[in-house]
Amino acid sequence: MQAWFEKISKMFHMAFVEGDRWKLYLDGLGVTLQIAFFAAILGLAIGTVVALMKLSVKRNGKKTVWAHIANIYIDIIRGTPSVLQLLIMWFIIMKNCTNGTLVAVLSFGINSGAYVAEIVRAGILAVDKGQTEAGRSLGLSKAQTMMYIVIPQAIKNVLPPIGNEFIVLLKETAIVGYVSLTDLTRAANQITSRTYEAFMPLIGAAVIYFSIIKVLTVLLEKLERRLRKSDNR
Amino acid sequence: MIIVKDLHKTFEDNRVLRGVNYHIHQGEKIVVVGPSGSGKSTFLRCLNLLEVPTGGEIWFDGQLITDPKTDIDKVRQHMGMVFQNFNLFNNLTIMDNITLAPVKLKLMNKEQACETALSLLERVGLKEKADAYPSQLSGGQKQRIAIVRSLAMNPKVMLFDEPTSALDPEMVGEVLEVMKGLAESGMTMVVVTHEMGFAREVGTKVLFMDEGIIMEENTPAEFFANPKCDRLQEFLSKVL
Ligand SMILES: Nc1ncnc2c1ncn2[C@@H]1O[C@H](COP(=O)(O)OP(=O)(O)O)[C@@H](O)[C@H]1O
Ligand SMILES: [Mg+2]
Repeated sequence: MQAWFEKISKMFHMAFVEGDRWKLYLDGLGVTLQIAFFAAILGLAIGTVVALMKLSVKRNGKKTVWAHIANIYIDIIRGTPSVLQLLIMWFIIMKNCTNGTLVAVLSFGINSGAYVAEIVRAGILAVDKGQTEAGRSLGLSKAQTMMYIVIPQAIKNVLPPIGNEFIVLLKETAIVGYVSLTDLTRAANQITSRTYEAFMPLIGAAVIYFSIIKVLTVLLEKLERRLRKSDNR
Repeated sequence: MIIVKDLHKTFEDNRVLRGVNYHIHQGEKIVVVGPSGSGKSTFLRCLNLLEVPTGGEIWFDGQLITDPKTDIDKVRQHMGMVFQNFNLFNNLTIMDNITLAPVKLKLMNKEQACETALSLLERVGLKEKADAYPSQLSGGQKQRIAIVRSLAMNPKVMLFDEPTSALDPEMVGEVLEVMKGLAESGMTMVVVTHEMGFAREVGTKVLFMDEGIIMEENTPAEFFANPKCDRLQEFLSKVL
């Protein structure tokens, strides 16, 4: 028992304390959060625009060119692995860019945008058609009706699934090691190869991801409950 | 005021309107009746182009509104519409429901719009609900607010699509009262309804729609006393 405990504490020391290695996790976590945060914002912006594009119709009810472009974008993003998208962004599209974080943010933002677009589109479609008709019948334009009536109601519909999408995004950033960025996952991996001891660094990184996502999930559930309450006002 | 010429509307292969012709004059109260599915709503919704006709012409105040070049948003500012399901904006207070369009369309400033809203709300006895949300109101109250919301735009004509059909029976009266008051004030109205009492009392003309056309048209007295076509006789025998 005593021997076992000693072994564990030695492993812990090696994984986190020796040579101030905890700082490497912290730096890695910083990279992870930075990429996830800015990619989430970019994804939200792209997703909203693409959702509106996809919903646009001509006077005769047919899809616009914008809607077709939006469809192609969503198809391509959903039909290819995100690792591959990241590699293409890094080695081909932005091969002259030396800022790896920027490349990762763009790649993940563009990726997330496709999923957010589908969420936003569903959220807008879930708003009763009568709301739009009432707005239009008063003489408000399509854009005004969207802006003042439909989107405020759609936001309630989309917040929970958007939150989920961001959690997925946060975990997905673990692939940035492929373009030699040192995020939390890669930091843990590097320490493993230095100490020849995998257990502590990998489980440690897993615990960090898990804790952050747990906190996000709890916050999201709170928000959801609050939104549901204000529905019955 | 509104001239409808050979109006056609087809959904997929369902020919709902098959040549509707009608002339609505200023100040008239046209009541439209007919069996369910006969195209009454579609006809009404074509008048403000919520449905785009597949054929024919609609003229409003001398303007051909079915012309694709017409700015339909401008036209709709002068045509109020009241829906069966009220369609109050769920995210806005009653006051904001009423003032949103006049303010955003720059027809009034915020204060003027609020003043107008309050005096209209007073007229329908709902002034104290200005800060409530739609979900806090009864059906009858919602529909009275929906009427007020349209009136705040100071429309030339008001379209009603079965405004009392979604209401509990005890609330029908309060909405019909507001509509009667509106009729007395001289508003031009087109009303789709199953309330035959209202048709008789308020209508200047009653139209019977069936099979996608206006099958019969008459003054209320004649319409109910001497129905000519068989379909109308059959219809009236069921609803009266
Ligand atoms: N948006 C639509 N798409 C397809 N069919 C429709 C649509 N709106 C109405 N219809 C069809 O048109 C017919 C007439 O409907 P409607 O005008 O609502 O009749 P009413 O109001 O007299 O009951 C019905 O058969 C209905 O199914
Ligand atoms: Mg109808």
